[in-house]
Amino acid sequence: MNQRRRRKPLNPIDAPALARWIVISVFAAVTGLSYVYLTVQLHRQGVQRRALEQELEATRTQNEDARVQIAALTSRAALQRRLKEGYLQLVPISEQNIVRLNTPVRLHEESEVRSVANRGGDK
Amino acid sequence: MKWNSRTRGALVCFFFALLFSVFSWRLVYLQMVMHRHYSELAAEKNVGRDRIPAERGAIYDCGSEILAQNVPVATVIADATLMNNAGALIPILADQLHLPPDEIARKINTGRPYIVLKREVPETEARALQAALTTAKLRGIRYERGTKRVYPNGSMLCHVVGFTDFHLKGIQGVEASMDHYLRGEDGYRYFERDARGREIVLYRGLEHAPRNGYQVHLTIDLHLQSIVEDELDAAMREYRPAKATIILMRPQTGEILALANRPNFDLNLRSEAKPEQMKNRAIIDMMEPGSVFKIVTAAAALNESKVGLETMIFCENGVWNIGGRPLHDHGRKGYGDLSVQDILVHSSNIGAAKMACMLGEMKFYEYIRRFGFGDRSGVELPGEIRGVIHPPRSWSKISITRMPMGQEVGVTPLQMISAMSTIANGGKLVQPRIVKSIVDEKGKIISQLKPTVVRQVVSPRTAAEVTYALRGVVSKRGTAAEAAVPGYVISGKTGTAQKAAPGGGYEKDKYIVSFSGFLPSENPAFVGLVVLDDAHTKEPYLNYGGTVAGPIFARVAEQAARYLDLEPHEEIGTPATTAGRVALTNGRR
Repeated sequence: MNQRRRRKPLNPIDAPALARWIVISVFAAVTGLSYVYLTVQLHRQGVQRRALEQELEATRTQNEDARVQIAALTSRAALQRRLKEGYLQLVPISEQNIVRLNTPVRLHEESEVRSVANRGGDK
Repeated sequence: MKWNSRTRGALVCFFFALLFSVFSWRLVYLQMVMHRHYSELAAEKNVGRDRIPAERGAIYDCGSEILAQNVPVATVIADATLMNNAGALIPILADQLHLPPDEIARKINTGRPYIVLKREVPETEARALQAALTTAKLRGIRYERGTKRVYPNGSMLCHVVGFTDFHLKGIQGVEASMDHYLRGEDGYRYFERDARGREIVLYRGLEHAPRNGYQVHLTIDLHLQSIVEDELDAAMREYRPAKATIILMRPQTGEILALANRPNFDLNLRSEAKPEQMKNRAIIDMMEPGSVFKIVTAAAALNESKVGLETMIFCENGVWNIGGRPLHDHGRKGYGDLSVQDILVHSSNIGAAKMACMLGEMKFYEYIRRFGFGDRSGVELPGEIRGVIHPPRSWSKISITRMPMGQEVGVTPLQMISAMSTIANGGKLVQPRIVKSIVDEKGKIISQLKPTVVRQVVSPRTAAEVTYALRGVVSKRGTAAEAAVPGYVISGKTGTAQKAAPGGGYEKDKYIVSFSGFLPSENPAFVGLVVLDDAHTKEPYLNYGGTVAGPIFARVAEQAARYLDLEPHEEIGTPATTAGRVALTNGRR
């Protein structure tokens, strides 16, 4: 009887309270770490976003550059220059190969002559 | 005095309370009272405002061919305070930027933090330089991105399109007149930097997107412009005039289809151009129009019923002494009785002067002004002048006899073609215009300019009568037989004016020759004007509007008629001249 009384712990651990504090501590730690992690992630994504923006800008610039070059090479002045150099040639279109989508203004009389357009063969 | 432990304890507590109160007060002072001040200081140091530039709108012709657009470029800046190896940097910069090493070294040795090494470096070159410097681990170079205006067609349409300055502000042509629409609105972004000066994207602040400039579509048809430019170049080679202008206009709407001047310049090399080359002579050059002005005289006299087309007027056999000065007609013998129609066909100065005398000074002046002379036409181009039309109170005794044949008046080529358009358009003066529409970047039309009828100058009947009379000018018996285009009926009028000398009087053997006409005579598709200032012909007697400007008009009109698919209303006969035959055969010169 006396022995049993002696074994009784003097400072018993309050397990439920300890568990509660451990949970609270872990929760606080996880929250804190999560906050740090997410903040770092945000910063990292910000850096990535910046890099992507720069890449997009560079691509857009390249695209713009190409567009300008295309416009310059296909401009009327450039094509005429090439035509003069003999790089391009124009073939006259014969009258029978022309399909008129918009009927021109009617002639006053049937006997009147046809358009002078595309008389490429007359030399 | 001896304090007990309780008193000492209270004193210590009081001291700490006081100390923390001071700290607390300081904290409140800094955080609340001085909040704004320190926030601004922090913002000044770490927060920046980034300008997001708006893209300048492009300019197109009526068929959406690009006339002006932007190309990305960079300005290469050196910061001498950040360089880690200037010696290694110089050869790389010299190689990539194509600059002399000495020049780069001289600039860098100034030790300044902001040294402009080169402007308007193409983006590809800037990227290559950046890559080379990264590989060599060199610091101290940065790039300011921007755009540069480029003109794919070079010198074509240079006076109409105009150009911008380094800050992309329009300073000539449509670039200047439509600058408000073309330039757009810059955007901005507030951002925060870290200690190394990099942006912290997380703390990116207020952002306002830019509004890019609107696109401007012109009434110009680049194909017609190309025809006009080619013929103008050919005329410059053949006649070597000091200046020349050709304009094509649609009379019903006032749309300018083509406009070219010589001398001209390359818009992409504008820094090399001389001021003389940059003038848009169609709107800022004043000249005496010569006999083209007789259409005003004849239209006024017909409209006021002072004469009819068949009214005979005695043309004094070539010399009319009036106001103490003789007035001559062209030709050795002059003319006797001429109908009003024939006065225009033969371009009789005396006949025109007599018609003006019938009208009286005030009425004649009124008609000159009603045709738009002495006023700006209102075309969307900067720098247009009014010309000079003196009121009757300033006229001399002989002014009424000289003005009907285009002397003592100063007009612009655009005013001349507007007057001819009025005749072609049933007597309605329509405001010339060069801008067709303004469109945003998504294609939505912001503004579409509609034709504006300024006034009914003469009745449709009078306009029809003058049109009929002007057909005779472009016939074998008229002054402009060489302006004929086989297959089409043309109405037109020649002009040959002696060049006014700067100090008064006229320059000997220097003429401004012109031809203005429209085609087809009934329901015209376009009106054309050709003006050559001081053309050099093989023989002086060939220097007339009908022999110089007329054939140029014929070549332009013939090609334009083909392009516009105008059906001929007249049997194609033998052309009046060799020039006409050449024009018929190959459509060239």
